[in-house]
Amino acid sequence: MASQGMHSPVEQFEIKPLIELSAGGFDISFTNSSLFMLLAILVSGLFFLIAMRRGELVPGRMQGSAEMMYEFVADMVRSNVGSGGRAYFPFIFTLFVFLLFGNMLGLIPYSYTFTSQIVVTFFMAAFVFVGVTLVALFKHGLHFFSFFVPAGAPKVLIPFLIVIEVISYFVRPVSLSVRLFANMLAGHTMLKVFAGLAVMISGAGGLSMAGSLLPFLALIGLTGLEVLVAALQAYVFTILTCMYLNDALHLH
Amino acid sequence: MVCKMGSDMAKRGMMRCVTLATGTGFGVVVTSGQALAASASEPGLPQLDVSTWPSQIFWLVIIFGIGYLVMAKIVTPKIGTVLEDRRSRLDDDLSKAREASAEAAKIRADYEADLESARNDAAAFTQKAAAEAAEKAALVEEKADKKLANKAATAEKKLARAKIEAMENLNDVAAEAALEAVKGLTGIKITKTQAEKVVKAAAKEMAPQEAN
Repeated sequence: MASQGMHSPVEQFEIKPLIELSAGGFDISFTNSSLFMLLAILVSGLFFLIAMRRGELVPGRMQGSAEMMYEFVADMVRSNVGSGGRAYFPFIFTLFVFLLFGNMLGLIPYSYTFTSQIVVTFFMAAFVFVGVTLVALFKHGLHFFSFFVPAGAPKVLIPFLIVIEVISYFVRPVSLSVRLFANMLAGHTMLKVFAGLAVMISGAGGLSMAGSLLPFLALIGLTGLEVLVAALQAYVFTILTCMYLNDALHLH
Repeated sequence: MVCKMGSDMAKRGMMRCVTLATGTGFGVVVTSGQALAASASEPGLPQLDVSTWPSQIFWLVIIFGIGYLVMAKIVTPKIGTVLEDRRSRLDDDLSKAREASAEAAKIRADYEADLESARNDAAAFTQKAAAEAAEKAALVEEKADKKLANKAATAEKKLARAKIEAMENLNDVAAEAALEAVKGLTGIKITKTQAEKVVKAAAKEMAPQEAN
């Protein structure tokens, strides 16, 4: 394996068109990223439909796990959004399932992780941000802007605090999207680096075959860690969405 | 682009600002992405290749939209109904169990009340029977006592008579013995009446002492 042929650890993030399409001068090809978005929805949808097909009174393992996921998100919405959150439950649930299955499917070798695309995570975060802001404006009207004035603050500090509050408000979609994107990017890059290292060392032949065991073991540990990160980041994205929604509905 | 947004923000109202802000954020990323993609040679981050963005956003919207419809129209109502059915079934069963338990408690209370009244009846009956028996026994005892007293009285009377008779006989015997003794010792013949007189006097003399 020459250095020229060595795979770059970021090569895995490349977008490869599967079906070439374009509309209005834009390239809207169906790509590997789109395929895994579709798979995330298909796999999760099929999982839920198969698990709930009988809807038994005493659930089996599959139905139990489907119900557990539902209850998990329902509890999250109930405790973080409270009253008025019920209407947004399907969206929050879809968000969580989409991210969870996307992250998990991305861990399968040779698959693609669409959540490692900043444009995807940012678009979702921006959608949440704009949606939540519109909800707040529709619900509270101009009173919404009191959100930026911290209650009980000294009058002299209020102008500064408003600036800080406004900045922190507008940073929300950025932090929300970058958190997920960076976690996925870093995790998958690290996996690739260790895998590449194991392959490279074993490629030297002879005694170094034994040496490749070390990065390989590290790779196994990291994969476990990435499973945790995949679930955790889906949860974090979802719960932050719930909190923003709570702010919008109740203004602190 | 960013500078223009900045001046816009200062001029326009907050509400306008909210909608623009997403555009601003987007713009920043777009420009920096282009800059990075341009500055990095071939092996840049594929994420920053702006040419792939429209397709990703396009498919994200379509696929997430489909996913939302599936989850909102089919999956969540289905799971919700199953959970709701289970909850109502459990509540139903629980209320039924509560009812049955209340009924059992009532039956038990009734039973205990019955038992208590029966116990009271039995106690009253026993008391009455005991009282009656005691009365009867007292009556019988009284009668028996009277009878016994009569018997005792007649027996005493008889005894007294017998004693007197015995005493009289004793006096006779004593008089005779005295007669004989006097005759034998002194040779003087006394009459029976004399002897009897003496004995009677002696018995009279001794009687009070004996009575004591």
